[in-house]
Amino acid sequence: MSASKLISLAEAVRRFSWDGMQYASGAALPVGSDAIVFGRELLRQNRRDLHAIFHCNTQQLNLLAAAGAVSKAECGFSGLEVFGFANGLRRAVESGQLALEDYSNLAMPLRLLAGALGWPFAPATVNIGSDIQHRSAFAPDQYPATAKIPTVIDPFSGREIGALSPLTPDVAAIHVTLADDQGNSIMLGSEWSRFELSRAAKKVVLIADAIVDTACMRQFPNLVRIPDIVVEAVVHWPFAAWPQGSPGLYDIDEDHMVHMNKALATEDGTAAYVRDFVHAYDDVDSYLEMIGRDKIDRLSQTSTGFLLDPFRQWIVQ
Amino acid sequence: MTDYTRQEMMAIATGREIRDGELAIFGVGLSMLAGFFAQAHHAPHVRAMTEGGVYGATPMGGLPWGIECNRISSNATSFTNALDALGFLVASGRCDVGIIGAAQVDKFGNVNTTGIWDGDIGDHYRPPKTRLTGAGGANDIACGAKRTIIMVTHEPKRFAEKVSYISSPGYLEGGDARARFGFVGGGPAAIVTTLGILRPDPISKEFRLDQWFAFSSIDEIKANTGWDLKVSPEAHMAPEPSPTELSALRLVDETGALRKKG
Repeated sequence: MSASKLISLAEAVRRFSWDGMQYASGAALPVGSDAIVFGRELLRQNRRDLHAIFHCNTQQLNLLAAAGAVSKAECGFSGLEVFGFANGLRRAVESGQLALEDYSNLAMPLRLLAGALGWPFAPATVNIGSDIQHRSAFAPDQYPATAKIPTVIDPFSGREIGALSPLTPDVAAIHVTLADDQGNSIMLGSEWSRFELSRAAKKVVLIADAIVDTACMRQFPNLVRIPDIVVEAVVHWPFAAWPQGSPGLYDIDEDHMVHMNKALATEDGTAAYVRDFVHAYDDVDSYLEMIGRDKIDRLSQTSTGFLLDPFRQWIVQ
Repeated sequence: MTDYTRQEMMAIATGREIRDGELAIFGVGLSMLAGFFAQAHHAPHVRAMTEGGVYGATPMGGLPWGIECNRISSNATSFTNALDALGFLVASGRCDVGIIGAAQVDKFGNVNTTGIWDGDIGDHYRPPKTRLTGAGGANDIACGAKRTIIMVTHEPKRFAEKVSYISSPGYLEGGDARARFGFVGGGPAAIVTTLGILRPDPISKEFRLDQWFAFSSIDEIKANTGWDLKVSPEAHMAPEPSPTELSALRLVDETGALRKKG
């Protein structure tokens, strides 16, 4: 077995992020599994001018956008589902500070798939004919836009379709439920597009809620959809998706979802949020203290807890 | 008459559009309640999925916060991914029916969920005055599902002659405009609102009033529609919710999200 890839969160951000990078995250739709704590650390290390590739907006992108760390973003969906509009992202878009390029929730994984396969483009039978094709925030002077989803001819049928550009983000921070110290990992719940993302990104950092022995992976190899060979580093961080949920481990923190989104609606609120929930901890213990031990216990009483049962015996930390 | 809200009537009317055994895709919130109401009431064999690739699940513990959240992850039979649900099963043309929401809809059933601009966007793309959620999976469902149902609160500002941004295509400029793009899906079959049901004219594809509800009227619906709404010759009042429909809906809507008046 090779050397452990486990590193600290601070080191992961130091080594695998830089100003102006294409940064991908946003693991499982707007309120599910996401490496939110990686985004908090990006702010702690003052990363700027990020080009965010998020299949869907999450509280991570909402926070990064609110704090002014993102200048470009590409998304399939930019809300927060039941929690409404993402106020931080919305504010950044409306003010013109952030250019948000719109796609759909199928277009994003197709673009990741094209990136992963080294395809020049993915043929689009969706997004065509709508303003997703005709309007480009990255090329605002083009109308109808010609560079975003150009029209191409299907050589077999002669039909006009669209060409979706491939995505190969510089780094992806991917939230997983379980990882071993080599970077083999298991996701509980919908994968969303983490499989494609793990192959499309130039570098992958896993943020795992729990670490298991490699014997767990040997017991369930079919479930290891992101194996060690595509992973640079592993960070262990419990409640890494908080205030969003992680199936099998913890539920959404509804109160904090609302509080956070309300705070991100204004510059002052964002500054207070960053002070109280980004700079207010030094390590995992103080992070969990910040969430609150009672709340941790309550959120852990999830009805999905049984999903973790087959894996519990291998959890080492 | 049993007391029920406009939101409940909208959910029941939407649920009535779903037939037993269909492969169906639901979004979060109202659309999911309407879908699972249909399953609880008249479509027990509906095969439901979410765009994140959650199969065979029914919500537990209240209205799900999102379509992949724990409330719809505690009794699933399969978890896959977006490429599978929205791609293999929707873009391929296999999905029978999808329910989508709208911030704004126009007379050809085009949906805007991207933003509200002051006036036309113009030739130079500019940020919206009010940024909305973007298309999500609705664009893919609008292109690929055999038919879509659009659910929307009936207010004049939401019913525009022409939406300022097409996030999800309906019949585009009307007639056979969809054919230009070869969409495998058939387009919107109905717009179900808090006041009634609109359906497309078979030739022009312009949406006309098909049903009003017991508490609404043709005049009220016309007054709340931002284009000169035509009335179908077969227009009629939708049946009121039956006691079994209401009890099935309220079982699904266990937190009472639809019962709030407003």
